[in-house]
Amino acid sequence: MKKHIVMSMLLIAALLAFSACTAVQPAAQRPGAAPAEGSGKLAQIKAAGKIVVGTSADYPPYESIDADGNFVGFDMDLIRAIGERMGVEVEIQDMPFDSLIAAVQEGKLDAVIAAMQATAEREEKVDFTIPYRMTKDAFAAAQDSTLVMEKPEDAAGHSIGVQTGTVQERWVQENLVATGLTPADKVFSYERADQAALDVANGRIELLLMDAEPAMELAKQTGLKILLITESTAEGGKSIAIPKGASDLKAELDRIIQEMLEDGTIQRIQEANGLP
Amino acid sequence: MDVVQNLVTTFNFILQGVWVTIGVTLVALSVGLVFGVAMAMARVYGPPFLQAVAAVYSVIVRAVPVVVIIFILFFVIARFVNLSPFWAGSLALGFASGAYQSEIFRGAFQAVPPGQMIAARAIGMSKLQAIQSIILPQAVRLALPAWGNEATLVLKDSTLVFVVGVPEILRRAQQVSARTLEPFMAFSVAMLLYLILTLVTTQVLQWFERRYRLQM
Repeated sequence: MKKHIVMSMLLIAALLAFSACTAVQPAAQRPGAAPAEGSGKLAQIKAAGKIVVGTSADYPPYESIDADGNFVGFDMDLIRAIGERMGVEVEIQDMPFDSLIAAVQEGKLDAVIAAMQATAEREEKVDFTIPYRMTKDAFAAAQDSTLVMEKPEDAAGHSIGVQTGTVQERWVQENLVATGLTPADKVFSYERADQAALDVANGRIELLLMDAEPAMELAKQTGLKILLITESTAEGGKSIAIPKGASDLKAELDRIIQEMLEDGTIQRIQEANGLP
Repeated sequence: MDVVQNLVTTFNFILQGVWVTIGVTLVALSVGLVFGVAMAMARVYGPPFLQAVAAVYSVIVRAVPVVVIIFILFFVIARFVNLSPFWAGSLALGFASGAYQSEIFRGAFQAVPPGQMIAARAIGMSKLQAIQSIILPQAVRLALPAWGNEATLVLKDSTLVFVVGVPEILRRAQQVSARTLEPFMAFSVAMLLYLILTLVTTQVLQWFERRYRLQM
């Protein structure tokens, strides 16, 4: 009995090692094989007549499910419009956010659209298209503020609140404080954005700089007004994730996204979903 | 009135996940039953090599979290066989449940006095015949209470198949709460549905237990 247990343990170890080896193989083959002939990811999608796209449908207004069970939101409208231009059907698959990258890697999904940012860690596992939506920041002020802003630098000289450790704080430090536009003691660093919003509402500080979408929500709750929504203080954007090495698919998606950015389609879809 | 309206919509939406949950649970329990009984038989009456295989299966599968098994089966095995998320998830859950069920049936087989096997063999039955007509009918009765417990556990573990994208009750509740921003209502409905499913399962199994109890 003992001997048999050892033997079957060895057998299982061998099986696991085997499946680990085969797990590495396809990924290693793909980049070389894809551009060579017409058997790339894009050709496969066109041949199947549909693209399988993963999302995590719990993040409105980007993606969610309405009462009738339909996928709705900015990302969903966008991917359907992209599918239309590719001439294929779009099949959407709901998964936990954490499973999405693995599912693309294993070929279970052709693409992922889930308000996802292309970070360095993710780029080791999958490829990303060009951003279809840049991250935006908002400057908010009290309802009775007479301040008018046309560009982020118009905040110069006014007391401003930011959240500690954010890109917005860094922008203020680098572009307003380091350049001498705003004295350092007029910059207030808060642990939470809603605390900053309350201080703006109560008149303790004049401005608040933070991510645009939560800012609009906060502004509604605390009665602030949004003075300016801008991309230039923010970093990065949201991209579609695709399998590593699927260069033909990337080229096609990049082309369509660029086209949609230029002809105003994306702008229209954003507005239809209440996004700034 | 608004609250009632919301509750009805939420309930109807999550209700569609009930069929998925029931489907996953039934497939997983059946697969687990086949695995469990086979492995328990191998463990108790099989030749030494099969005994070892069954023991290793039981030890390893029970040592690994179920969600990991589902992940591995979906992403590694499904690379060779194209399985839908529903089948991959259900089969993986069944494979995991099989290990627990094999322990239940092993206990039940061992609880049948060994003299019965010897007696059956003495009157000329083959080993398989003896298991089929003498041991199994008794073992199944002994296994029923513990098996009922396993059934409710599998019912609740069915929430795990969402990692591969099967929208069962819990995921539907998450989807509603993301939309309505009323997590309390959504998860209360989910809780209620699980409670109903568990109660029904327990009642059915208790009926079976009573129906097939050995009369002294």
